[in-house]
Amino acid sequence: MKESSDTRVLPSTPVDRLRLYGVFFFFFAGFLYVIGGLVYRQLIQSNDLKEQSDTQSRRVVLRPPARGRIYDRNGFPLVDNRARWSVKADLASLQKEFRAEYLRLLAAEKAREAVSIDREKLMEDARVRVLQGWLNKVWFVIDETNRNTKGRKSVAKLTPVTAPAERQINIDELRKHLRERRALPFTLVNDLAFPGTGQALTADDGTKSVARFIEQFPVEGPIRLDQDNIRTYPYGAMAAHVLGYVKDTDMLPDNVDDISEVRIESMQKLRYTGKTGAAGVELSYNNILSGRSGWELWTKTSSGYNQTRLKFSEPEQGGNVMLSIDYRIQQATESALGKLKDPQGNLLPAAAVMIDVHSGEILSLASQPSFDPNRLADRVSSKYYDEIEKTGGWLNRTTQGLYPPGSTFKVITATAGMRKKVVDWDDVLDCGPFFRVGNRDYPEHEPVGYGEVNLDKMLAVSCNVWNYQIGLRTGIEALAAESRRFGLDVPLLQTVSDMETGGQPMTELPFAASRGLVVPDRAYKLRIGAGAWNDGDTANLSIGQGYLLTTPLHMACVAASIARGETRTVPSIIHSQERTGRHIGSVPIGLNADQLEALRGGMVRCVEEGTARVARIPGLPYAGKTGTSEYFKKGEKAHLAWMIGYAPADNPVVAFAVLVEGQTDTNTWGGKTAGPVAKEMLETWWPIAVKANQDENPKAPR
Amino acid sequence: MDQNRQGARASYVALSVFVALWILAPSAVRRFNREAFVEFQAPALHLLGKSRDLATFWEKKSRSVEEMAAAGRDLARVNAALEIQINKFEDIRRENVRLREITHYNVPAEYMSVVARVATRDSSSWWQRIVIRKGRNDGIRPGAPVVFGNTVVGRVTAVHLTTSEIDLVTSPGFRCTAYLEGDDQNHIVLVNGVASNSLGTAKARVSVIPRDYSMPAGQPARVFTTGMGGVFPSRLILGYLDGGTYATQVGNFKESLLVPSRDLYNLQEVSVLVPLHQNPGEALMQGDQFQ
Repeated sequence: MKESSDTRVLPSTPVDRLRLYGVFFFFFAGFLYVIGGLVYRQLIQSNDLKEQSDTQSRRVVLRPPARGRIYDRNGFPLVDNRARWSVKADLASLQKEFRAEYLRLLAAEKAREAVSIDREKLMEDARVRVLQGWLNKVWFVIDETNRNTKGRKSVAKLTPVTAPAERQINIDELRKHLRERRALPFTLVNDLAFPGTGQALTADDGTKSVARFIEQFPVEGPIRLDQDNIRTYPYGAMAAHVLGYVKDTDMLPDNVDDISEVRIESMQKLRYTGKTGAAGVELSYNNILSGRSGWELWTKTSSGYNQTRLKFSEPEQGGNVMLSIDYRIQQATESALGKLKDPQGNLLPAAAVMIDVHSGEILSLASQPSFDPNRLADRVSSKYYDEIEKTGGWLNRTTQGLYPPGSTFKVITATAGMRKKVVDWDDVLDCGPFFRVGNRDYPEHEPVGYGEVNLDKMLAVSCNVWNYQIGLRTGIEALAAESRRFGLDVPLLQTVSDMETGGQPMTELPFAASRGLVVPDRAYKLRIGAGAWNDGDTANLSIGQGYLLTTPLHMACVAASIARGETRTVPSIIHSQERTGRHIGSVPIGLNADQLEALRGGMVRCVEEGTARVARIPGLPYAGKTGTSEYFKKGEKAHLAWMIGYAPADNPVVAFAVLVEGQTDTNTWGGKTAGPVAKEMLETWWPIAVKANQDENPKAPR
Repeated sequence: MDQNRQGARASYVALSVFVALWILAPSAVRRFNREAFVEFQAPALHLLGKSRDLATFWEKKSRSVEEMAAAGRDLARVNAALEIQINKFEDIRRENVRLREITHYNVPAEYMSVVARVATRDSSSWWQRIVIRKGRNDGIRPGAPVVFGNTVVGRVTAVHLTTSEIDLVTSPGFRCTAYLEGDDQNHIVLVNGVASNSLGTAKARVSVIPRDYSMPAGQPARVFTTGMGGVFPSRLILGYLDGGTYATQVGNFKESLLVPSRDLYNLQEVSVLVPLHQNPGEALMQGDQFQ
């Protein structure tokens, strides 16, 4: 009976059944909702959710590549990279230490019954104390004075209380690091070889500091040795204006599109500090030298630290650049400029350039004063920056310095006169001690004048009166046109392709354009509000004075053009075997053979027995033209010394220009001051050229 | 059945209590336990090493008299040659001391040499670590370099009363600076042990090799200690570059593998060069922070 009562089924009423269906429906709907939600999330939203998950839990860390090298035309490295060993603290591994130190500080605060406790400040103090402890240990190991440490186990006691800045944790830097790059290791010592203020601890280039750390500091632990590259300029300040320098950048190129199967567009990216070109070739060819960033894909913790590295790719070094500079000639040029000093022993501002007559390639390009890019490669001290600023070292006087060319311009005046047929190569003019223009006497630099002067003699002695007469006969329009024909109004800072397409200047020569070039004419004088053009202005222009402003590089190009019998030379700083001298815009000079011969002969005579005779080189006949122009230095009149030319005289290979800024208390003259610089440049170049010729043609006469 | 269950339950409880105690125990207690365990097994290690020596002794004793006489003759010749070399080196040493005095050149670190027999290899890191039969009682200190002849074997990482543990050159915990044979400019390179699987060939990595370095033709390039880090004396041989150098993508430097010069698997005896003066690295190793 009992069993039957247990198994008895009570008859259900229609109301109950309805209620049951309702419950079933409710559960069924709920089940459908859950399943539908799952399907929606798993099948439809899965990609978006995965991306969202990746975005929140992963990050990409970009690592800078080593920059490419810069070579001279013979393959000698002018800019290289050296190993930089830095000591870094892995903040994620130090979490426990931070926490323990924080709790200690908190307990101490509570013990002294502080009214209010700033917990964030306590945490920051804890971090600083822990990192300072590790920094002390690093210094304890790398400082060679700690030779015998027997019985001294407490590292803290070995650190002086008043430690120099490099031995203390910079709180501002730590704050910035935690704010912006918490996941990356914190740098304790930036450059182990030079851990002090850019100085090695020992006399052996800091190698000992590196070696001591490597061998004595424990391999395991939160402190790690990092090795990367830093820019080095083996020749120091040599060609600094050409090479430029680099600066820090936080904007590494984002060229990491090959992280397979991972969409990184929306993912957080952290960038190590890299380097980018700041001036010179380093800037102009930055896209070639930069290379390709490496990347690491990390999972991150809830606190924002890196957790596990999932994938990585090594950075790729940037491409190399070969310059047309020959470091031997460059060294000689700078050495010659370095001998120019004022009575107080300060270097005179100066510039010198030598170019290949046919290809336009620059063999040396120097500007004085200069700077050492090594000292700008890492952290630039404001003191050094100010020092360069004060001496005017940033200015590349060869390409940016604007000067009246003085008597070196007389080759253009003579060319203009002969082309306009107001004078011929053998015409003789009477040249007294001065020439009257309007109501003013324009002087000759020789008090008694030069008497009868032809083109040849004019160039040899640099006769002013000959040029006043020819300049006035030629007229300002023709003089200005001739100057433009020689390209004195064209910034030379453009690539051949730029010129062909009429593009904007820049890049082939990596300097800020010399945009202040002036080839004066009537319109120019009116434009600057200086009144109407007069004959005195023309007389001034005929000897390269007045409003005319040009650069030493332009004048070197003028010399190269005359050497080739043309009007334009496009200089290049890049060495290329394929360069065949495509001097865009160049046309024949427009003189007959006798005229051209006389023009060149006058320049040769200038060196042999004229104003440049001090720069004569036995065994190497060459053409030159000196110039001494006036300019105002701090309101007082001073002289600029010029010399341009090409060598050898009979078969030109190189052209050059030298400029020296005289001071108010210096005795500065074209031949006497600039001549020795040109002489030293050519004396260095000549044996190199002879040897190269011998190597190419072994049967050539020695 | 019930008794078995109770026994099992009791053992689980005991294990849990032990684990909890171990986790909660202060680090000093755990360190003491570790040391106690090492000292407990030290006699066994000594016995093992000595029995191996005894086996070698009897193996040699079983050789014939003719064999021994021939070996003795060869040894006498080698000894005679070495005597001449020793005299020559003594002259050079005196000249070296004289020049150092004249130029006031820093006296290199001085070492006390402790010769020790190899007891065993640490089974937890096969090929990367060995245990020797000398310890704190014999004056050995952590961080001291370990050599065999003029070649580096490794470095002392832990010192116990009568035994010491040595990280071999191929151990990931080993790191030192080196010069490469054929590099006239003496650039320093970094030698680092590489973690390898237990059946793989143990090697170390040589990195930061200058890109313009080329190995001497016809022979593997030797890798020497620099003596600049204050741990290893200079010009000890670490090993040979393995085959070639490989440029890294980062540029500017190359890498290679280092083959240790001594057969690390068959070492019987080593010398520990204990520095007379404690260096900073040693002080750090003995500090609490690295325990």
